[in-house]
Amino acid sequence: MPELLDSADSSRRDRQVTAASSIAPPPTATRPSVAASEPLLLCQTVSKWYGPIIGVNRVTLELRSGITGLVGANGAGKSTLLRLVTGHLRPDLGRVTIRGLDAWSSAAKRLVGYCPDVDRFYEDLSGRQFVLEMARLCGLSARQARERTEQVLDQVGMTNRADRRLRGYSKGMRQRIKLAQALLSDPPLLVLDEPMSGIDPVGRAELVALFSQLAAQGKCLLISSHELDELEKLTDHVAVMARGRIAAVDTVSRIRDRLADRPLTIRIDLRPHREAGKPSRDHRELAALLLREIPEVVGVQLARETASDEVVSLLVQVYNGSRFFPALTGLILEEWFDIVHLEAIDNSTQAVLSYLLGQSS
Amino acid sequence: MPEVQTPSEPSLWRAWLALVSLSWRRQARARQMVWIALALLGFAIGLVAVFTARNRWGMEHWRTPGRTGPTYLQWADAVSVTSGLIHAAGSPPAVEAALIGASRVIMAPRLTNEQGQSISLGGFQVFSQSMVFGLFLSFLLPMWSLSFGTEALGGEREGHTLLWLLSRPVPRPLIYLAKFVALLPWLIGLNVGGFALLCLVAGPAGWLALQLYWPAVIWASLAFAALFLFIGAWFRRAAIVAIIYSFCLETVLGNMPGYLKRVSIGFYTRCMMFESAGAYGVQAERPTVFLPVDGTTAWLVLVGLTVVLLGMGMWLFSRAEYHEIE
Repeated sequence: MPELLDSADSSRRDRQVTAASSIAPPPTATRPSVAASEPLLLCQTVSKWYGPIIGVNRVTLELRSGITGLVGANGAGKSTLLRLVTGHLRPDLGRVTIRGLDAWSSAAKRLVGYCPDVDRFYEDLSGRQFVLEMARLCGLSARQARERTEQVLDQVGMTNRADRRLRGYSKGMRQRIKLAQALLSDPPLLVLDEPMSGIDPVGRAELVALFSQLAAQGKCLLISSHELDELEKLTDHVAVMARGRIAAVDTVSRIRDRLADRPLTIRIDLRPHREAGKPSRDHRELAALLLREIPEVVGVQLARETASDEVVSLLVQVYNGSRFFPALTGLILEEWFDIVHLEAIDNSTQAVLSYLLGQSS
Repeated sequence: MPEVQTPSEPSLWRAWLALVSLSWRRQARARQMVWIALALLGFAIGLVAVFTARNRWGMEHWRTPGRTGPTYLQWADAVSVTSGLIHAAGSPPAVEAALIGASRVIMAPRLTNEQGQSISLGGFQVFSQSMVFGLFLSFLLPMWSLSFGTEALGGEREGHTLLWLLSRPVPRPLIYLAKFVALLPWLIGLNVGGFALLCLVAGPAGWLALQLYWPAVIWASLAFAALFLFIGAWFRRAAIVAIIYSFCLETVLGNMPGYLKRVSIGFYTRCMMFESAGAYGVQAERPTVFLPVDGTTAWLVLVGLTVVLLGMGMWLFSRAEYHEIE
């Protein structure tokens, strides 16, 4: 199983460090002295059962810095893994350590900031009061806690909206408050469970920038998300979980490369009517040519829904997209098909994920 | 040159104190069980007030044979008349004195407290037996205690807010201890305050009971706090488990004859009270059946139970996985 090591883009990191330099970190916690070579997060063949059901099955994962996305379907074991990492669960087999410390220990919790998926607070408190209370629980003095609270509220863009009671907050605002409390102790490892859930597109962009900034500061972020497109914008590295196992840990593109033989569905919209001076063809001819000329094509079907009445859509099932696309390009140019739109409709992380999920069963 | 202040390091002690403070304030939010406890307090005060208004703290109105016979006071008058007749008939003075003395001791003897106020010893005994032992120790004290005790951790679990506490860098045993410390002012306040109100409403007999019994109420409150906090750490539906415990062990088993009652906190509290009020003639109705222990033993058991339950709770909490909070 591949392991994920440091992968932060250095140029982006430099840029982001500059952007983040105005934010003062809190006083350094009494962190246990650990060897610098120690991985920040190390899961060693970790298994966790819920009675007869296995939640996480022999997972091995090593993180040192950068952003790692954790994706998987519901019940894949993402949340269990995050709870193991944050010390809310203990593995039945294997070991989870944060810089060599057992993740269950309070010493390890100094090194971890956790933004859970749970949407429950002390609802009668304001956002500012809640974050302040959490800061006090980190052992900061009253003055330091106030200062740090303002810093993290500013980081998540909640400074001017933090005085309302939490029960009146929107989902996005609550997410930001959760994120703020995770940042309080300036931990080297941030574990974020669906952090962008419920946040509007503008807010998402801000959070993506913030996460990139934190990664550029050398922090390690483990982000679980169903928002795969957002995750793909955020990180190169993805750990794909399926049925309690980590099915793959790599960049999305490398995963795709390794899965070159996986089936791919491509939508081709073409205009079948003739135009003056051009020998245009219709969709039946294209389907026949595809099947006859390109070996990677295994099936063609007519799409039921089309973009407009003027176009006809074909769904083409192929193996090995990297060989198919050059062949298709040549065919189009030679045969004068009036292609108006070409889209690999499952060429996304979701498709990769679906494929992996199917493969790991 | 301005002095540069270096920020102090995060302190575990500060974090723990902050947790005590937060937990104390969270306990102030009266939830359902606390409202039930307050309603019970109101009901008990009303009951005591009615008894006090009708002058029922005493044995003067008791009848023998039951319901239909003369009251004890009427019997006392009869004994007095009889003794007068005996005196007139020239019987020995010892016989006369014995009759009068027995009637006073049994029926309605009166004492004077330190402030010179008149106290009905019979009233104090009746108040102790019926209200303090019968209602307060067997029912009200466990119910009031569980209202706050189970909320301390149970409320955090049910509200899913325990997650925030467990995510902080405070060792779990210290989180548990902070919850216990934060719980005590509320629990002792309700128990001792509620008991004091009941006693004050009962008049002089209640005053005496308050002066004699309040230490036992405090020690019992500590034990109940430790017990119900432990139940809150162990069981998901802590309030229900605590109610079942209170009814089965404190109310039913605690009033059973023999040694079985020794598993209840109320037994040891009652033993402490017996020792405190021994000089006033308050004791188990049938000591050979009740089998009381001495006050010091009872106190040691309550303190020991508190310490043991607290230790067990800290151990359990430090190892428990709370799946429901996420």
